[in-house]
Amino acid sequence: MIGVDEKVTKLTFKFQRRTEPSRLGQALAVPVALVAALAVSSILIRAAGANVAEALEAMYLGAFGSQNALLETLVQATPLIFTGLAVTVAFRARIWNIGAEGQLVAGAITAYWASVTFSGLPSIALIPTVLFFATVGGALWGIIPGYLKVRFEADEIIVTVLLNYVIQYLLSYLLSGPWRDPNAFFIQTRLLPEAATLPILFSKSRLHLGFVIALTVAFVAYVLLWKTSLGYEIRALGYRPNVARHKGINVAKTIVLVMAISGAIAGLAGGTELFGIHPRLRLDAMHGFGFTGILVALLGRLHPGGVVLAAILFGALVNGSSRMQIVTGVPVALVYAIQSIVILFLMAADGLSRFQLRKR
Amino acid sequence: METLIRTEELTKRFPRVVANDAISLDVRYGEIHCLLGENGAGKSTFSECLYGAYQPTAGRIFFMGQQVQISSPADAIALGIGMVHQHFVLVPPLTVIENIIAGTSSLSQLVDYRRAEEEILQLCDQYGVELDLYAKIRQLSVGEQQWVEILKALYVKAKLLILDEPTAVLTPQESDKLFDVLQEMTREGLGILFITHKLKEVMRVSDRVSVLRKGKLVATVDTASTTKEELTKMMVGREIVFNVEKETIPSVEPVLEISDLRAMGDREQEALKGVSLTLHKGEILALAGVAGNGQKELYEVLMGVRSASSGKVLLQGEDITNKPTSYIMSRGVGHIPGDRLNEGLITEFSVAENLILGEQRSKSYSSGPLLDFKKIKEIARSQISKFDIVTPSEDTSSGTLSGGNQQKVILAREFQRCSLCLLANQPTRGLDIGVIEYVHRQLLSKRAEGIGILLASDDLDEILDLADRIVVIYDGRIIGILDASDAKIEEIGLLMAGVEETDP
Repeated sequence: MIGVDEKVTKLTFKFQRRTEPSRLGQALAVPVALVAALAVSSILIRAAGANVAEALEAMYLGAFGSQNALLETLVQATPLIFTGLAVTVAFRARIWNIGAEGQLVAGAITAYWASVTFSGLPSIALIPTVLFFATVGGALWGIIPGYLKVRFEADEIIVTVLLNYVIQYLLSYLLSGPWRDPNAFFIQTRLLPEAATLPILFSKSRLHLGFVIALTVAFVAYVLLWKTSLGYEIRALGYRPNVARHKGINVAKTIVLVMAISGAIAGLAGGTELFGIHPRLRLDAMHGFGFTGILVALLGRLHPGGVVLAAILFGALVNGSSRMQIVTGVPVALVYAIQSIVILFLMAADGLSRFQLRKR
Repeated sequence: METLIRTEELTKRFPRVVANDAISLDVRYGEIHCLLGENGAGKSTFSECLYGAYQPTAGRIFFMGQQVQISSPADAIALGIGMVHQHFVLVPPLTVIENIIAGTSSLSQLVDYRRAEEEILQLCDQYGVELDLYAKIRQLSVGEQQWVEILKALYVKAKLLILDEPTAVLTPQESDKLFDVLQEMTREGLGILFITHKLKEVMRVSDRVSVLRKGKLVATVDTASTTKEELTKMMVGREIVFNVEKETIPSVEPVLEISDLRAMGDREQEALKGVSLTLHKGEILALAGVAGNGQKELYEVLMGVRSASSGKVLLQGEDITNKPTSYIMSRGVGHIPGDRLNEGLITEFSVAENLILGEQRSKSYSSGPLLDFKKIKEIARSQISKFDIVTPSEDTSSGTLSGGNQQKVILAREFQRCSLCLLANQPTRGLDIGVIEYVHRQLLSKRAEGIGILLASDDLDEILDLADRIVVIYDGRIIGILDASDAKIEEIGLLMAGVEETDP
């Protein structure tokens, strides 16, 4: 018979969900995860035939080793702060916006259009105009799935994913047709107007005004979510949609509004990245920021402060691993693998801090 | 009689509370043993330990004379312990027979439906249960679903049957039938552990009763040698006055007039089929009925959460049919929802945040787009002391409060809001006797202020205690209106079961 005391030889420990995540566990989660991730990565580096110590050193130097490396890390982090925030606002309302990728492109398209249309303006007026149109484009591309969800109960995951393709192909059409630089072989626009490009924060670096805007938006997002009536409603909707409805919160309006805000922030990622970094609008210039933004948001625990830190970590991983690749010659696939391992361990550690080992 | 299951000093500790503190009791073969206690007394924890869902922190369990360790419900089932939970564990799109035999055969076996059907039909015959084995679960009434749960346990040859608050969803007549069958089962030697907080059921059905209070076993007594009063004292630790005094009489002025209201339910059936009733100022109008007969939908339509397909709702003469919820709330309608956690409270929010739910845009709690947290907390603190809400602070997340205190948060909020009428759906469900007494007093004080209260409850004693008039809802229709002063429980019970009055 099962369960007779004398015969028990089962594991005597089991996982149990904590009622509240442990403080100590959460504090230790990040360092422990990083150490574990590096340990596993070392095995891969070793297997690829490189010197582990050399590789890890290169990784650190690439990310934080010099002022220039540090600034470049922040450059990489900038668009991810935006997309991470965009995803955070939506996910807080439990709206699964997987479309930051497309809303970013939409923002880049409208920003480019504005830069050409209002190119006569001086820099001081043109830059705000361009960025304003970036938010408008992103917001419009976010409102569409929001409206479809409210009006037809269309699943926002599917709609946002599909709209990512739609906007990508729209951009492809614009670049190969109306906006194409006739003198270039590649499908790309003419050079962006000089007056519209964002000022650089430190000379000899690429860190641009977009980083400051990103930090500002992070602060604004924090205030929005935790200090305003609208933020209260957004979080209420995310935690308990049914309670929100029963207590008179206009769910439809809130959903559309959240998608507009989320899209606007993603659009700003497109606008700042385009006019901060790129000489022209091209098809593949900003691939992946939207999707990585989802990871950034989750890793940042859907909190603007966490998002900023997570985005910087991602920036560091990108720069650190590309230097590692140059120094040690490990294949590029390994670089991606290491990035993924770090993310997986961080997320696992975060999850584990919510559990405890208990004696049976 | 011989002992079937026995616990020795069974203790279950959770991080902050001792849910079961050294409980030693036994259930004999062929006995119905009631486990009586308030909510939070540790009844469910105790039964989940026996069923293997929880592991006791200390203590021993002996089943059929042998010490056992029950690590999971699968172990419990293998030993012969079956449990019917308060919330059924059935698969709605599958048939009765599929639900009963689910999990009973190993993967390598083919399901032998014919043999299973024979066995189940025999069980049904034996206990006089009528069930269509090939009906889908979702087509069954709640009472019928409960039979399926019980059959599930009997089919795997349970020797001990644990029932957790089984009558919460039944009409008085269905409960009676259940009690008869349970007593029949004990004649076959089955031991039954019957968990309840209703004294009447204890007296009606049990052989012995064990009373729990705050995790401790107060006493185990023979039912025949005790009284309701004695049990109450053991359960609460003090005496409770059940009778309430009403000092005012309702006005004749209507506050809420509902005429021929129709609305669809969630499953595209008509849930309200022409409801008409009038609620007067200073009146408690009770809505009696078995859960699932349209009460939920009626409250939702009145609050503007569900739209009416036809009919009219007038609030002090103003047509509020299908108006937005926020508008109806702003007109002075409070709502205590039937399902606290899914309709009334955001458990992730703090107590203070919950106390302003629905008024987050009101001038009194915000300036411009920003919330005025200083003011919100100030008001929260005064509400907490006024309503005697037990919480470490106003910033505590409301999910960590006990059910009674969560309900007090909702009461505090909705009482503040209702200046005309209060729609209370099961306001005392799942609460301790002490808190129930408190809620009753609060409802009566609102009534004395001239607020009209529509009170739905599945506790007929509560209805008879509080109501001025009683309407009975059955299958989306009001099938009887009675004066509370001369209504009888049997009469209400028949109406609840859909037996309409026939005038002589």
